[in-house]
Amino acid sequence: MRRSILKDLLILLGVFALIWLLASLFNYPEDPQLLSVEKEENLGESYVDLILMNPLFRELENETIDSAVDVIGDRLKEGLKHSDYQYRFVVFESEMINAFTVPGGNILISSGLIAFCDSPEELAAVMAHEMGHVEERHVLARLIKELGIDILTSGDQYVLGEVTGILSSTSFDRKQEEAADRFAAELLERSNIEPRILATFFRKLEEESDNELMKHFEIISTHPNFGSRIRNALSYKPADDFEAIPLDLPWEAIKAEL
Amino acid sequence: MEYHPLPQPGEIEVRVREDAMGAYFMMFATTAMGLPLPILNLVASIIYYYVNRDKGKFVQFHTLQSLYSQIPVTLLNSGLVVWTIINFAKDLDFTSFYWGYLIMTAAADLIYFIFSLVGAVKARKGIFYYFVFFGKVAYHQVYRIRPEHGPRTPENRPPGY
Repeated sequence: MRRSILKDLLILLGVFALIWLLASLFNYPEDPQLLSVEKEENLGESYVDLILMNPLFRELENETIDSAVDVIGDRLKEGLKHSDYQYRFVVFESEMINAFTVPGGNILISSGLIAFCDSPEELAAVMAHEMGHVEERHVLARLIKELGIDILTSGDQYVLGEVTGILSSTSFDRKQEEAADRFAAELLERSNIEPRILATFFRKLEEESDNELMKHFEIISTHPNFGSRIRNALSYKPADDFEAIPLDLPWEAIKAEL
Repeated sequence: MEYHPLPQPGEIEVRVREDAMGAYFMMFATTAMGLPLPILNLVASIIYYYVNRDKGKFVQFHTLQSLYSQIPVTLLNSGLVVWTIINFAKDLDFTSFYWGYLIMTAAADLIYFIFSLVGAVKARKGIFYYFVFFGKVAYHQVYRIRPEHGPRTPENRPPGY
């Protein structure tokens, strides 16, 4: 009898352990892993094309600006070392201070944001923050959560239009913002850019928080509690051998092109 | 190992059958009552067992089976409550392991509910219904014939024994 009881117990434990394991391995509908990076990149291309067709997000075609953004982007990509994404930075014409992430490694930056930044390092901090959202797949997770994977991948033109609307006003939750801030600080350090520049940028945003021009800026619209974010950014400790190498860009001359 | 013979359905009084059935329904009631703090229902169940254990082996068997099967379910539910509170308090992520645990606990609750319902109906009919593992444990504990121990008297033995 005792042996039979023990056998039953083992079977019971095994069955429940298996249920736990299988249920943990299951990809829940909000999991961004459900979509491969390749598919995400294909989707992202369609979104970027559609967004840039909107007169509010017309691409700013200026070689000086583009090359400056590329210089910053290249420095960050070097710091990233490995990524599944092919990053693409697009500057669009808008007075609004804004930057947002489109699935597939596309980051859209407004000319207003470039004008707002006092140094290329500040812009690098914002770009690194957005790259954090890309690497952590926050945008995709949010889209899947809001629309579901079937609608998202349907390819329907009307849906695409709706998605672009959501993307340009994307807001993340506090944890996602904190994760992106942390990612940005680490990436900036690896890219030999002072990581605590994030704090400077946040302080400037805080001072200007009543500015109507930045009401769509994800960094500010999501979580206006800058106090803790400034504190977090300032408490980041770079390695002892860290050396900041300034981005060699004639920033004022570049801004004059806007 | 020897066991007491089992009574047949016709030999069990209706009042005894109803008390045995009550064990399962009591667990349902206490489970609902103890939901915010699942450990409370276990305390209530233990009290029910002690109140009813003198009503014969049939009642004892069903009460014990119900009580034993409730212990892991209660522990799983308590674990879920604690895990959820910790996640909220420390602002942690609800990982896939958490969701897996939640599903496993829900499955355990559902299985417990179904087995208890069947157990209650069978008990009312005077039938023994054995849950996996817990049925055998309860049967073993209630119906096992224990060796009678008289008052111990010292016994003298030669050396080497």
